[in-house]
Amino acid sequence: MGSAIGGNHDKNNRAGHAALSASGGPLQHFIKTHKAPLSLILAMAVLFVIFGFLNPRFASVLNLQNVLFQISVPLIIVVGTTMVIQMGSIDLSVQGVMAASGMAWILLSPNTRLESDIGIWAWPVALGIGLGIGLVTGVMYAKLRVPSFVVSLGTLYVGLGIGILLYGNELLPTLTNDVLARWPTRLTLGLPNSFWLAAAIILAGVLVARYTRLGRGLLAIGNNESIARHSGLPVNRYKIAAFAIAGALSGLAGILATMQLGSGSPDIGLGQLFTVIPAAVIGGTALSGGEGGVMRSALGVVLLIVLNNGLVLAGVDPDYQSAVFGSILIVTIVAVAWPQRGRLKVAK
Amino acid sequence: MQYLSETLGTKTARAALLTSAMVIGLGSFGQAIAEPVAKEDMVLVVSVINTTNPYMISNIEGAEALAAALDIPLEIVNSDNSSQTGISNIMAILASGKTPIMFVNTVASSDAPTIVNAVEQAGGFVTIWWNKPDDFSPQAEGDHFVAFQKIPGVSSGRCGAQALGDALGGVGNVVMLPGVQDSTTSQTRVAGFEAEMAENYPGITILESRPSNWDPQLGARNAQDLIVKYGEEINGVWSADDGMQIGAMQSFENAGMLDSVKFASDGLYPTTIEDILSGRGNNAIVGETFHRGYMASAVGLYTAYLAAIGEIVPSELPPEQRDSLFALSCVNPGNIAEYLQYDEPDAAAKFVERLLVSGPWATEPMPLVAGGPEVMP
Repeated sequence: MGSAIGGNHDKNNRAGHAALSASGGPLQHFIKTHKAPLSLILAMAVLFVIFGFLNPRFASVLNLQNVLFQISVPLIIVVGTTMVIQMGSIDLSVQGVMAASGMAWILLSPNTRLESDIGIWAWPVALGIGLGIGLVTGVMYAKLRVPSFVVSLGTLYVGLGIGILLYGNELLPTLTNDVLARWPTRLTLGLPNSFWLAAAIILAGVLVARYTRLGRGLLAIGNNESIARHSGLPVNRYKIAAFAIAGALSGLAGILATMQLGSGSPDIGLGQLFTVIPAAVIGGTALSGGEGGVMRSALGVVLLIVLNNGLVLAGVDPDYQSAVFGSILIVTIVAVAWPQRGRLKVAK
Repeated sequence: MQYLSETLGTKTARAALLTSAMVIGLGSFGQAIAEPVAKEDMVLVVSVINTTNPYMISNIEGAEALAAALDIPLEIVNSDNSSQTGISNIMAILASGKTPIMFVNTVASSDAPTIVNAVEQAGGFVTIWWNKPDDFSPQAEGDHFVAFQKIPGVSSGRCGAQALGDALGGVGNVVMLPGVQDSTTSQTRVAGFEAEMAENYPGITILESRPSNWDPQLGARNAQDLIVKYGEEINGVWSADDGMQIGAMQSFENAGMLDSVKFASDGLYPTTIEDILSGRGNNAIVGETFHRGYMASAVGLYTAYLAAIGEIVPSELPPEQRDSLFALSCVNPGNIAEYLQYDEPDAAAKFVERLLVSGPWATEPMPLVAGGPEVMP
């Protein structure tokens, strides 16, 4: 993603430009900025070959569809996560937003509990809740100068609270509309719809990062906020926008996860944060900000999900799975990060 | 204290230190209650692991029903899935000055000694449900740790194995989705399932077991991976609770296999009842177990209450009433109608009515069946 900044001549983005102006010529720049993803892809290819060797079904079309179905929710979240981390902040509210949006969406769609189906309008309402929570986080972070770690921890619980209130203590709401319930798994051009949705979001994320002032501005803020501010970037507006987008995407992920499960639950986003933040870092998005990109984080997600899937298919004993998972992950990351160790800035 | 730090690790030791610090501050409570506690000095406390799981919500309903029947105020402690949060919140209530009558659904086994120690120092009475260290018994701790109570997990696993084994005619392949791998509840259910299959269904092969952390989504993901791995070989799925089964059934439905695979689990969630009654997936669900959270909390709290008012003296009770295993019912599509009454809106209140008449050890459908600790097969 750094290459996008290097090539921009926008007056507002001198900070970002300056940060990467030492990158040399275009070709060198490309190799330098893409070394991390290339070595990550190489490491993943090695893993795929080993898993395919251990169980031929790993490489089957059925498993490809299975993995693509499983990665779609974290892929959607990681786009927002990456935007926020790029500017040196963090968004911990993912699970809360997913709970609030997912519960709101299912209760406003055809379900077994409430007769409050508002059809297509369930989408804007549920996404609006995610966007709203993100906006609150962003405004408090940017305007009140409260660390994003603290604000988003607060909004995490607010979101969970909304989810729990909506859940109440009645029946588990289950989707009754077959079209909606089957949409995530139905195949289009051989791949599950949930993946197409995630792919569209990733593409949008890449385009925003590459071709918009916002995308470049976020990296500039992460590189050096005061330079960005002094060079005239609307820093606060960008910060709020990043959190609002992250909130809306977590909301969308909450809806998709609810559709995939067929039932609503305030726990729908359980554990997602521990997939997307490591995935972003594994992909080379530095927690200190100013580096990384959506595609790299997406690769990180693929690595984490495929690793788990491969271990199950390889028949690794559950007693050892966590340890084996962690060990392979460490070896992979070290192999990927070794040539970049000066740049990644994750060794703090 | 040293015993605690050595046996329970630093985390719990820190909590134990916190406890003793609180207890020093609570000097006035630091003596055993010799006389029965007056009602107006009591507060009922229900401590649950979280407030989103239907079982925990049911725990709270039972406590509310008993509090209403006894006319004693109720405090709810939400541990938010964290031992530290649970223990700190309990400490705050112990410091309130009233005598706590407590039901604690512990987050982890190792929480029990810390909580019991604090309640004892505060002169309260506690019944612990589900989790405690095996070597930590109420009998050895005195009258303030009134009882430890649970539903035997082994029976739950055996129920599921019988239902699946019979539905498959004694021949076929099954996969298992246990809960959190190191949870006693999951381990006992898994042991019961495996033992029953080994002893009585030699034609059933357990293909694989994938712990799914009580999480419906992880259950769904693991089920998907297992479908890829074994395909049509899978004839049956056992899950350690209904949450994971809901996820697994969705995955089999997505794969177009729901009609040909049988399911058994634990919990009889409302969704599960609907699926059994509607015959979803060619009567996919063949076995369930029945127990409700409101029964556990009402029985637990009432046992502690009886000790507080001096109606029972814990140290004089027979061992099975201090360390108790209560009945679990096996449910199948044939007998499910009998159990629907326990989910009516006033079911908790009706259960409490019967509890006040029959006492904590003889209230249907959850009478005392044996003394603990639970023996693994």
